[in-house]
Amino acid sequence: MSARRHPLRSVALGLVILWSIVPIYWAAKSALQTESAARSRPVEYFPLHPTLDNFRILLSGQGDVAVGIRHSLLNIVIECTAATAVTVTLAALAAYAFARFTFRGRNVLFYTVLATMAFPPNTTLIPLYRIMSDFGLVNTYTGIVLVYVSGFLPLAVWVLHNYFASIPTSIEEAGRIDGASRMQVFWHLVLPLAVPGIISTALITFLFGWAQFLFPLVLSTDLSTQPLTVLIAALQGRHVVPSTLMSAAGLLAIAVPAVIALAFNRYIVSGLLAGSTK
Amino acid sequence: MKRRQARVTRQRAALAGLTAVALLAAGCSAGGGSATASGASTDFSGVTITVALPADSPPAADLAAFTQQTGIKVNWATSDWDSLQTKISAAATANTYFADVTNVDWSRVGQLGKLGWFQPLEKYLDANSLKADMPQLGSFTLNGHIVGVPYDSSYMVTTVNTDLFAKAGITTMPTTLDEYTNDLKQIKAKGVVEYPLNIPFAAAEGLSTYWYETTGALGGTVLDASGKPQFTDPSSPGYKAAQWMVDAIKGGLVPPGNINVNDSQGEQTLMAQGMAASTLSDYSGLINSLYNVKDSSKVTDKIQYLPTPGVTGPAGNLSNPDGMGIPKQAKNPAAAAKFIEWFNSASTQEDFSGLNGQDKVWGSSFIPSRISVVEKLAQAGGLADGTHLAAMLKTASPVFPQGAPTWYPTFSNAVYTNLHAAATGSMSVADAISAIAEVANQQARNG
Amino acid sequence: MSAPRGSARPTPRAHDVGRGVVVEGDRFDGATSTPRPPRRRLDALPYVLVAPVAIFIVGLALVPAAFTIIESFFKVDALDPPTRFTGIGNFVEIFQNHTVMNSVANTAFYVVVGVGVSTVLAIAMAVLLQHPFRGRGLVIAILILPWALPGVVEGILWSGIFDPNSGLINGLVATFHLGAGNAVLLGQNQLLTLALIEVVQVWQITPLSTLLIFAALQLIPDEIYEAAVVDGANQWRSFTSITLPLARPGIAVAMVQALIATLNIFDQPYVLNGAASTGASVTMETYFISFQNLNFGQGYALSLLVALVTVTLSLVVVRFVYRKVEL
Repeated sequence: MSARRHPLRSVALGLVILWSIVPIYWAAKSALQTESAARSRPVEYFPLHPTLDNFRILLSGQGDVAVGIRHSLLNIVIECTAATAVTVTLAALAAYAFARFTFRGRNVLFYTVLATMAFPPNTTLIPLYRIMSDFGLVNTYTGIVLVYVSGFLPLAVWVLHNYFASIPTSIEEAGRIDGASRMQVFWHLVLPLAVPGIISTALITFLFGWAQFLFPLVLSTDLSTQPLTVLIAALQGRHVVPSTLMSAAGLLAIAVPAVIALAFNRYIVSGLLAGSTK
Repeated sequence: MKRRQARVTRQRAALAGLTAVALLAAGCSAGGGSATASGASTDFSGVTITVALPADSPPAADLAAFTQQTGIKVNWATSDWDSLQTKISAAATANTYFADVTNVDWSRVGQLGKLGWFQPLEKYLDANSLKADMPQLGSFTLNGHIVGVPYDSSYMVTTVNTDLFAKAGITTMPTTLDEYTNDLKQIKAKGVVEYPLNIPFAAAEGLSTYWYETTGALGGTVLDASGKPQFTDPSSPGYKAAQWMVDAIKGGLVPPGNINVNDSQGEQTLMAQGMAASTLSDYSGLINSLYNVKDSSKVTDKIQYLPTPGVTGPAGNLSNPDGMGIPKQAKNPAAAAKFIEWFNSASTQEDFSGLNGQDKVWGSSFIPSRISVVEKLAQAGGLADGTHLAAMLKTASPVFPQGAPTWYPTFSNAVYTNLHAAATGSMSVADAISAIAEVANQQARNG
Repeated sequence: MSAPRGSARPTPRAHDVGRGVVVEGDRFDGATSTPRPPRRRLDALPYVLVAPVAIFIVGLALVPAAFTIIESFFKVDALDPPTRFTGIGNFVEIFQNHTVMNSVANTAFYVVVGVGVSTVLAIAMAVLLQHPFRGRGLVIAILILPWALPGVVEGILWSGIFDPNSGLINGLVATFHLGAGNAVLLGQNQLLTLALIEVVQVWQITPLSTLLIFAALQLIPDEIYEAAVVDGANQWRSFTSITLPLARPGIAVAMVQALIATLNIFDQPYVLNGAASTGASVTMETYFISFQNLNFGQGYALSLLVALVTVTLSLVVVRFVYRKVEL
């Protein structure tokens, strides 16, 4: 198909953009309104009298809700960062081994790791909960991070493996000839080349961590470790939290992933497609 | 062979000896450090306990007074009721700590007691003196063990917006359920409010308790002493109650959006905003803590308690007191017990009810569990519509006379999901009833 | 883990070397380009490198999965101790449980609608983006937003749109005089509730499908299209005879990831419709059975069934949709 400018194409692209943005826009509009303005008839499609009250309450208010939201925001940042750091480190080491070495059991292990990606959360949720509880790790950062890491490793290993495999081996060969050990070659020669892949993996892993709900719902029983996603869902059902405040809280919860996705979309896309785009 | 046996025997003896020493040591230290009911406060300095209840925390000044008295700091964790119950189960089955004091709901006493998830309180508290002032302590006791202490005398009660009733031309308040229903229809017909009745049809615990109360209004109970359903016959009170509730939403007495509204939302967005004229099964104490509070309510001084409209005249009320107990895995059970003792002492309950100044009031629909305090409150005029309340308190009875069954959560889940489905029209009342009965029968069979 | 699935297959690379596969352009590798007898001395380094990952996977993925499989044949109920063998007892109870069966029906709806709609939308969007144009990068960046956001919060965002009083849909209905504009969209009518919940999930899973199909489309050389035009094919013909067949690998992977996501849906119905049975999914039922009813044995059995269905359906999709494409 040659690059024909079909008039409908722009309309279609516009629809695609609208489709992706409308719910976010609506929440933003609602967050900037007072509750009575939000409920007024006819519905305001644009905040006519915008107010930053909802955000002020969330960020500096002293009520239970606001304090809880700030605490859980801290929790989610800690949990995602820790999980990402551990996952990327371990996955990089293993992926390099899978890409560059042959050893007994390599294929079995490699495909087993990948196969666990297909396990529905169902199969591991309850036993993981019981394992964590046996070790006293329920409602601890450690427990949650360990569970996240085990879930994110397969994809991280896959993505990094593809990156390492796509790096020509001549560089490592040269390094080995110069007398460097294999780990030195890895650390000084290969890793710098794989930085884009590592960034992609880290970003994707971080986003997965941020999106977790069912696992932390079960593994974190109170505010000391609950991530923002779990708290927000609980607020939906509780006393009445005004819909505008809920929208503001929702925006807060998506702010970080949205910024990451927009700013680093090239890394994310290339990581997900692991070297198959031009 | 003999030599090995001798070695094993010696090892066993050593082990026994060590165990004895350890037990002795533990016994000694427990004896020395235990806090008696009026013990020294220095035992607990620096201790922090976590209190997880489905309610907002009392004023900081109250808690600060407790800390000053005992040295124990309180970390208050609010949660919604449904998630809190899941947390309690999760922590107990995982054997992990999540709080030192938490909610023991009247409906969970059976389950919690049987599973041994809460520490028996009789060793920390003076049961006899407590029982005299707190008649509901009985329903929190299982096999002689006190599983929890009720901190309020909550019971289900009918609330009415007298203003809206008057606007529709109703001069005498209804005493039977038929009169009540007709009055609501009149309110709707006269255009006073479009949807006069509030029933929280969201699939949550509030729907279950509404059904129990309505069944009670019609003169029946839902389960018998052995857990068998009493509502399967179409002429039984439970069946009729379910039919009445579903007909109300189908007939336009209840807002269609109530499909997604739970009890707190209904209270706060409908009753308190003057959009509903009545809630058949509301919670006692709400007039004080919500409907008369200017910041949250548009109907101050307009809401009253109505004796439950029954079959031929007023019916009784069912009690659903909230309690608190110490989970098995609590880190500081002795400190937790001190907290429970303080929280439920006469002086603290007086503070919470506002007898000693507005700044000490605990706003969570609070009618104290101690009769002595309720009487003081009624006398001082501190209980809105106190005459009605006190009278009904005397006749309130438990939902399950023999205590809630151990499988109550499963039962309640069946109740609210099926009643919700019947209200959406995706199943008939008859099918919903038989689905609920099936669950009850199955659970009762398994014991 | 609610992790979208992997990506298109990589072209043969270094790791294939050493297994008798000769690959162009490789000069050095860990092994030679022809099979060679195993080394005498055990090389510890690779094992050290993969050990941590292996430990995690074995300990926190394989062991729990094995646990689930084994314990699903036992009665593990906190209210009915002790734990005892019960054969297929749990499975029988599941099939007799109306609530569970209802959630299975709901989930079937989610799967069929979710996979169908998201795949069609993804193909359309991928074709739209197939050829470079100014601003394509920006469109892609915006496009992946729904994928990047937590499903739970997406539920909250959309419930703002569905709200009877202040929602966008009711607002539009009122503005265009199509009705009163205060209809209760969620929870009243089962079909509508299911559909709306799935709309939110489709919103979330389509971006990844789009990217996967987009990647497959990138591998199609322009020459093929040009040749088709020369032969007189119109746009639609090009699409059905060239684009679709050659995109099949990408479509297959997209469908599998959508399948896994829809089969395991939890966040959206939980947030949008709570515990009501109207929209309850199988994963929600597993959660309630385990953590509310405390019947862990039944929870394991249900998990196992879902896992088996997932694997089976994924294999079916791969068998019928995937086709190795040599370009």
